[in-house]
Amino acid sequence: MAQSSPRRASALAWFGPVIALLVIVMIYPTIQLFRVSLSQTEFFDPVAFVGLENFRYVLSDPDFWAEARITAEFVAGSLSLALVFGVLTAVILQSLGGKAAAIFRTILLLPWTLSMTVVGCLWLWLLNPSYGPVRYLLSLAGYDTGLLLGDPDLAIWLIVGASAWWSFPYAMVLVTAALQSIPKELYEAVEIDGGSALAKFRFVTWPHIIPTLGSTALVLCIMYVTLVSLIVVMTGGGPLGETTTFSLAIYKETLNSIDIAPAAVISIIVLIANLVLGIGYSVLSARIKRSK
Amino acid sequence: MSAASQATAGLTRSNKGLRRWLSARVPMTVSIVITLLVLAPLIWAISTALKSEVEAVAYPPAFWPSQITFENFARVLNGQNFLTELWNSVCYSFGGVFLSILVSAPAAYAAARFDIRGKTALLLLILGSSMIPTVALLVPIFGILEKFGMVNSALAIIVIEAARTAPQNIWFIRSFIEAVPKEIEEAAFIDGATRRQTFFTVVLPLIKPGLAATSILSLITVWNDYLTVAVFAPESSSRTLQVAIVNQVLDSNGISWSYMMAFVLVASAPVVTIFLASQRWFVSGLMAGGVKG
Repeated sequence: MAQSSPRRASALAWFGPVIALLVIVMIYPTIQLFRVSLSQTEFFDPVAFVGLENFRYVLSDPDFWAEARITAEFVAGSLSLALVFGVLTAVILQSLGGKAAAIFRTILLLPWTLSMTVVGCLWLWLLNPSYGPVRYLLSLAGYDTGLLLGDPDLAIWLIVGASAWWSFPYAMVLVTAALQSIPKELYEAVEIDGGSALAKFRFVTWPHIIPTLGSTALVLCIMYVTLVSLIVVMTGGGPLGETTTFSLAIYKETLNSIDIAPAAVISIIVLIANLVLGIGYSVLSARIKRSK
Repeated sequence: MSAASQATAGLTRSNKGLRRWLSARVPMTVSIVITLLVLAPLIWAISTALKSEVEAVAYPPAFWPSQITFENFARVLNGQNFLTELWNSVCYSFGGVFLSILVSAPAAYAAARFDIRGKTALLLLILGSSMIPTVALLVPIFGILEKFGMVNSALAIIVIEAARTAPQNIWFIRSFIEAVPKEIEEAAFIDGATRRQTFFTVVLPLIKPGLAATSILSLITVWNDYLTVAVFAPESSSRTLQVAIVNQVLDSNGISWSYMMAFVLVASAPVVTIFLASQRWFVSGLMAGGVKG
């Protein structure tokens, strides 16, 4: 005789420990975050309810809009580079095929396993303006690289490069999986019609990988929006605040902890951005699963 | 056949041969070039770590050390705080993942097997909390920890890391449990086993490889985490290797680059080893939507 589902109360007990954990670490702090954002604060304590005053203050602060622009630049830049390079490597290795491709894939995944502090260190050293190999190689080509990460116009784009180096393998793995699920007959059909390699990519590969690219892009966006340690290592938010994203601003203000309410407001913005991206990802990946 | 058409035919034939020759070699060449470019930062780090402190900052830089030295690695391993930092990294990673699996496995079982009202709501709550980023909760969690005097507490770090990895673990373990045929459990019920006994003695042993895979993914996530430890346990005796890396970069006395690269390589060695040993799991974890951060 099969045991049926237990009574509701005893069944919910199986969820008990994890729910307790999530309430303590995630749910209660989230409620507290909203309370802090609506209060006047003294260090970390809300002392008086002020309504949306903190939001008004943050939104009228020019630094906030600079951080918004830098966050957008960072996310858009990292995303485009990681996706382009991810698709490129996936397609090339797919056409190579066999055991060799599997070995290359493993090697290319290495950056992804490294922590962002390590990635930051590697690139800080590569981009060292006095002794670094990037300066040296560019000087051979006749370029004077200047301050590199010390250059306010350049710094965020160099961090974009490092973050794309770290994250493109993720796109590569997911695109590879999508490529491997494309039926070979479709390519043969294009071949019979006399289609070029470009036509194969345009009419077979592309439509098959575009849903995967969408969900991959959402996951990557979540990571870029919340990324902190890479920037801490490479520039600490400088020069002239030109690499201070929302998440970096939260990190710095939490450590300074003089008036925490503005940081709470930015936290809420990051939180909502993440929820929207996360829900988008859940919906999209459910749709991909259903279409298979 | 006229000479002209013969020539054209020959041309197309050699064209085809050239094409085949190219299509056999171009992907290999391009793959090798791309792989070397991607590996360049790591190769440079290894080269620097094997140089003497003076040679590391020579300009123009030498691609490979004129004389290989392991003194940087020796300095890292004999460093004053190295063992403490290593111990903290190990302690938080294993403690956090152990606690996470401990609370996730029963929930995953209930999610896979029970058909009860409220289950969907609970699963949505779990999924939703996986979308709350660490960075957004720095302010309130720090406030709470301070109130309870738990800043710098190892227990607090372990609990936070466990909660962060729990949603992903539940999702993975649930899919492993769903793959276990129900009939196996039913046989145990007939023998008079309770749900709990079946879970521990029948289901868990069957999904051991799955548990190992999801633990490894979480382990890498926690090992690589900087933010949680840096903000909630800033004291030098609570630091991990990741925090130590950042502190050395920010050190106002300046950086010894050869030492730094050796440190970075040592701090990454465990995860790279784990990755190489279990890359199949790692890749399937990625595809199942494992989100770090």
